[in-house]
Amino acid sequence: MRLNILIGGRAGQGVNRVSEIVSKILVDKGYFVFNYRDYPSLIRGGHNFNILSISDEEIYSFESKLDGVIALDTKTLGIHKKSLKKDGFTLSRNDFPGMGINLNIALAGALTKILGVEKRILLNEVKKKFNNDASIGAAKQGFDKFERRYSLGKKESARKNRTILMSGSEGIAKGFLDSKADLYIAYPMTPATPVMHLLAKEQVRNKLLVFQPENELAVINSAIGASFTGAKVMVGTSGGGYDLMTESLSMQGVAEVPLVVYLASRPGPGTGVPTYSTQADLDIALRGGHGEFPRIVIAPGTAEQARRVTNEAFYLSQKFNALSIILSDKHMAESEYSFVQKKEKVLLVPSTKDLPWKKVLRVNSYEHDGYGNTTEDPSIVEKAANGRLKKYAKIKREVKKLEMVKLYGNKKSKNLVLGWGSSTGAIIDAIEGLDVKFLQVVYMKPLSDKIKEEMSKSEKVLLVEANVTGQLGRLVREKTGIKIDKKILKYDGRPFEKDKLKEEIARWIKN
Amino acid sequence: MDKKLRGDVLDTGQEKTWCPGCPNYTILDAVKLSLNNLFKKGFKRNDFSIVSGIGCHGKIFDYLNLSGVYSLHGRPLPTAMGIRLGNPNLKVIAFEGDGDAYSEGMSHFIHAGRYNFDMTLIVHNNQSFSLTTGQATPSSQRGYKSRAEPLGKFEIPINPLRLALASGVSFIARANARDPKQTAKIIEKAIQHKGFSFVEIIQDCIIFNLDANNKEERMFLVPGNGKRSKEEASKLIEMYDYDSKKGRIPLGVLFSERRKTFEEQWPQLQELQRKNKGWAEIKK
Repeated sequence: MRLNILIGGRAGQGVNRVSEIVSKILVDKGYFVFNYRDYPSLIRGGHNFNILSISDEEIYSFESKLDGVIALDTKTLGIHKKSLKKDGFTLSRNDFPGMGINLNIALAGALTKILGVEKRILLNEVKKKFNNDASIGAAKQGFDKFERRYSLGKKESARKNRTILMSGSEGIAKGFLDSKADLYIAYPMTPATPVMHLLAKEQVRNKLLVFQPENELAVINSAIGASFTGAKVMVGTSGGGYDLMTESLSMQGVAEVPLVVYLASRPGPGTGVPTYSTQADLDIALRGGHGEFPRIVIAPGTAEQARRVTNEAFYLSQKFNALSIILSDKHMAESEYSFVQKKEKVLLVPSTKDLPWKKVLRVNSYEHDGYGNTTEDPSIVEKAANGRLKKYAKIKREVKKLEMVKLYGNKKSKNLVLGWGSSTGAIIDAIEGLDVKFLQVVYMKPLSDKIKEEMSKSEKVLLVEANVTGQLGRLVREKTGIKIDKKILKYDGRPFEKDKLKEEIARWIKN
Repeated sequence: MDKKLRGDVLDTGQEKTWCPGCPNYTILDAVKLSLNNLFKKGFKRNDFSIVSGIGCHGKIFDYLNLSGVYSLHGRPLPTAMGIRLGNPNLKVIAFEGDGDAYSEGMSHFIHAGRYNFDMTLIVHNNQSFSLTTGQATPSSQRGYKSRAEPLGKFEIPINPLRLALASGVSFIARANARDPKQTAKIIEKAIQHKGFSFVEIIQDCIIFNLDANNKEERMFLVPGNGKRSKEEASKLIEMYDYDSKKGRIPLGVLFSERRKTFEEQWPQLQELQRKNKGWAEIKK
């Protein structure tokens, strides 16, 4: 069973509320949902929509063909009706004349009924969220007005294996908490900002501090100052802000204080397409900053992975006084993933041992001697460079213990798809039933040897990523010498849709 | 160097590479004098962390045996803020040149006033980018000819103290590099001020921008602790415009006010101060 329902309207009409209510209800029942959010860069008006994908099996993507369109405004149907399946349904504001601000809740009620879920569950959910008569009335009115089309009510509420709903941003924030980190410093920039909002909310209770200084230069340099005192620090930004920060990524390289950077990218160059998605910043994540120094770059593919790799990023950065970069993007950050909650092993993040008020401790942006004083001595310069190289070798050894790549699909297949980051979900879903395996690269730096192994075992290799030059492909070629000729690249600012991607992969397998 | 300073715990033993006769030596002496006085008052060496920028002034980091960060050009202030965020019990002194503070790091300088972190900024202002061989800085006088600006600097210099007053800096002082004892007293007051304190040290460069040198005769000390209205402070601050050869140059604490510090308004930092700990020592 797989349904795709689009909910659209103007910004400010509460499109998100509809998918929020319905996905919560479904997830509590043990269904899996994936919620894609599409919105332009404006605060009121325009055209926002979510595509809520529903299944009784785990899903990580949405599809282009719609089973239903729910229109909070007049534009939505005009834009999306062409994607509606022949037997698809529509709901619109015209079904609830004079409803006013509770239109979104009435539509959530109507959708709940159409899906065949019990009224009692709907009302419970609405009460939990709003608890006012007008909202509850609107939910009832919506529910009562329509007939059931599907029977999702049949499934018993999941008790043992609880499914939970989490956005990529929530995954990052939870990973921060798991790591018992102290400071989150950021300047607002879509799509990194939700992490700042999430962590800021309960900062006092959670014993952490979220600070927004004047610009990204202040962000990263205050992070370095704080890290010097042993605080566990993370900074968050998107491409343009990251560009400003690169000066001090390099500072981290010489100063060797732990630092975690959350880079949530969006289409560039320049201001680009700020509220849409791309995987075009792998190159700058790998190389931003002058000089030669070690770093770790990790790209999660689901919200669950986002949580885990954030913990790993802190662990590695604290253990090796290293720079860890978590590379995400708008699709990853703002989509909501559902999964069965497992008890995750959290890595204990080591604390900084040397504290500047316990002994004289000196950090220097110049090349420096053991005491921390500036030097131009060629033997020390050489030794310091070798030291950074050795540190990277240690990082490589440690990272081998972690999940650097993940293999999905028919593991015996001779057809291999390579992909990473936010494309992961669509690829996992697209390869189902096809004679193909998919290798997700989680650690972009260091890069796993298993990539070459899997490539050599395969007859055909296909690269799937959301950028115009195939950045993972270039990275793999640099590390393995193997050029991947077949590529599916998407760079219109929108993520892969599962059904279309599946067709393309199937075509590649046949040819 | 003052004989009393020899064998000082504050000395790192690093060979000094400032030009012979550079006023940075006397600034270093003044800083050591003020710290030694504070040690007598009960402060410990490990209470302090220093930060410096890049330029001739920055070498002071290598010569002061204290914890700290020799940061990037223009970035000492956010680095210092970060140290206060990480452990608000540390006394933080940031050193910058006029290139750091007024050019590359200008945005940080302006915002520092509004945050009012409880820390100190000392700017060595010699009106020249000296370590890069003498280009004009934002505080160089008009007409200054350097290899980068052979036609002469056309634009007026900024008055950093006026800017500091407008930006909400809660302690503004000026000192003379040639007078280490007086400078030490001013630095001592700055360090003990609750809030963001800014001391600009007027300094000659003996190699570049010689035209800006020898202003000592025009300098006079404004006594007291700077407790005056912004209007009065403004009048004092505007006496010297960094440009003309005339006009008197007031030294001393020109403005000081007690305003809630950044740390006093964040419950998390208050908690760290109550416990006298940094985040690194907090169990979660």
